[in-house]
Amino acid sequence: MEREERNMKSKIKLFTYFNKPDKAAYIFLLPSFLTFTVFIFMPLLASLLISMFDINIFLENISFSGLENFKRLIFDQRFWNAFKNTLYFTALEVPIQIIFSLLLAAYVQKNTVFRRFLRSCFFIPVVCSMTAVGIVWSILMDPTLGTVPYMLRFLGLSDIGFLKDPLLAMPTVVLITVWKNFGLTMIILVAGIQSIPDTYYEAAEIDGSNKWNQFINITIPLIIPTLSFCTITNIINSLQVFDQTYVMTKGGPVFKTETLVQYIYTRGFAVAPYDLGYASAVAEVLFLMIAVIVVLIYQFFVRKETVDV
Amino acid sequence: MENKNIHILIRNIAVAVIMLIILLSVLYPFVWLVISSFKYEADIIKYPPSLFSDTYTFSQYIRVWDSIPLLKFLINTIIFACGVTIISILFDSMAGYAFGRMKFKGKKPLFVAVLVTMMVPFQVVMIPLYIEIYKFGLLDTYAGIILPRATSAFGIYLMRSFFVSLPKDIEEAGRIDGFSEYRIYWSIMLPLCKPAILTLAIIHLMNNWNDLLYPLMLTSSTEMRTLSAGLAMFVGQKTIEYGPTLAATAISLLPLLVVYVFAQKYFVQGVAMSGLKG
Repeated sequence: MEREERNMKSKIKLFTYFNKPDKAAYIFLLPSFLTFTVFIFMPLLASLLISMFDINIFLENISFSGLENFKRLIFDQRFWNAFKNTLYFTALEVPIQIIFSLLLAAYVQKNTVFRRFLRSCFFIPVVCSMTAVGIVWSILMDPTLGTVPYMLRFLGLSDIGFLKDPLLAMPTVVLITVWKNFGLTMIILVAGIQSIPDTYYEAAEIDGSNKWNQFINITIPLIIPTLSFCTITNIINSLQVFDQTYVMTKGGPVFKTETLVQYIYTRGFAVAPYDLGYASAVAEVLFLMIAVIVVLIYQFFVRKETVDV
Repeated sequence: MENKNIHILIRNIAVAVIMLIILLSVLYPFVWLVISSFKYEADIIKYPPSLFSDTYTFSQYIRVWDSIPLLKFLINTIIFACGVTIISILFDSMAGYAFGRMKFKGKKPLFVAVLVTMMVPFQVVMIPLYIEIYKFGLLDTYAGIILPRATSAFGIYLMRSFFVSLPKDIEEAGRIDGFSEYRIYWSIMLPLCKPAILTLAIIHLMNNWNDLLYPLMLTSSTEMRTLSAGLAMFVGQKTIEYGPTLAATAISLLPLLVVYVFAQKYFVQGVAMSGLKG
């Protein structure tokens, strides 16, 4: 009886302790930080270790190999090919996506019925999975039964292989990526442009400046933060390109569209001997590339926001 | 003066025509997909290709269930995407609430830690994550694909911004009524964030429904594949005909497109706030 009472009392005590706002906060944070610790922080540390082991997907015959995986990487032609393809994709995709989205954003930002309608429609591909988009476009672009090559024949461009052509495969993947994602970049830029006060444009109007000059001299300078944010995230996403090539080309033809992430997946999960250690080493290289850009993001995005926490 | 007006008119028409062409190229693949999924196989692969056909059939939508385990994919996707969304909203809002409305030791370093997780590319943690899930015995289970996504830095960030924007001292009213801190969160604060929760729900739903690499890696049997991962596997095999593939693709797109039509505002809001793909 007495014991039960004591038990009760200690329970109440515990509750009162954790009911203070400065203590309750930790309870509120617990689930999230548990998840982060187990599924992000621990794997992040482990990834460095794994890249120094000889380890396969069945977790058998694990042995320490030091920097062996990284040494192999340097002489791996296929790795350098994937490295080159990833940079090629990024260098092509990011400028096209940003410029195209920016021009469209400048047009659709006004709130007329037609432009609102355009905005809604341009966003539709963003909602769709890359798998679905990839399936549809690879049939539309198919050299033998696709609508696009058929139409181009009327313009005198015959026998364009698109995804089947080693030279054109990557540019085609880029085009389809832009098609899928420009709505996203456009919407973010529209939000940026709409936040510019009208008075700037009114003043320019009085000075007799035309629409194009207003776009160059007012709009662009004032959305530089939004624009650089879009560019940085776009670069990061491009370096991680996988879905498109996995669905449409599987890295082909002749490895011309094999990207770094695709290579990580192939070496670790798709092809024997399922070399997780080596795949991890490739992932570390990718991490290093992205880390440089992340530092930029940190400067731009995080530091500004954390000051007022 | 009149000359200038004509110039402007011509330019406006030219721009509108360009926009219509872009609009057409955005919508055409969807129209083509829907129409083609009602064609016979022979009409889909016939040359020269044409949008319309003389005969239409509903048979692809019947055959697809036999040739691809589509129902299984659909159920998996719903459980995965909705499971992640519900759990993540709960955890995100709890953490966001702490960061937005409470004072405690270590707040700033903890918040920075949250933002750091946003910067870690998935491919880097992917292999250790796979080993972890394998060791936990959760490979190829719903728990195995839902748990790692139980919270997100973006969600915490979004919820925090919303909680910060609420008027001061709402929680004081609750404290005077003798509510516990947890009841204040659950009964007073959470109901106030419906718009933020909806926005976040849409983003989580969309990202997980469409995700490819993550479910591809953490599931190994056909039985556990999501729509995105399952269809991507099937396209690789030449044994599947175009008709069922297109029907399956259309089915996989439909749910999110319907949600988009009715909740467009929240999609746009969420995306404008995140600016991030995943």
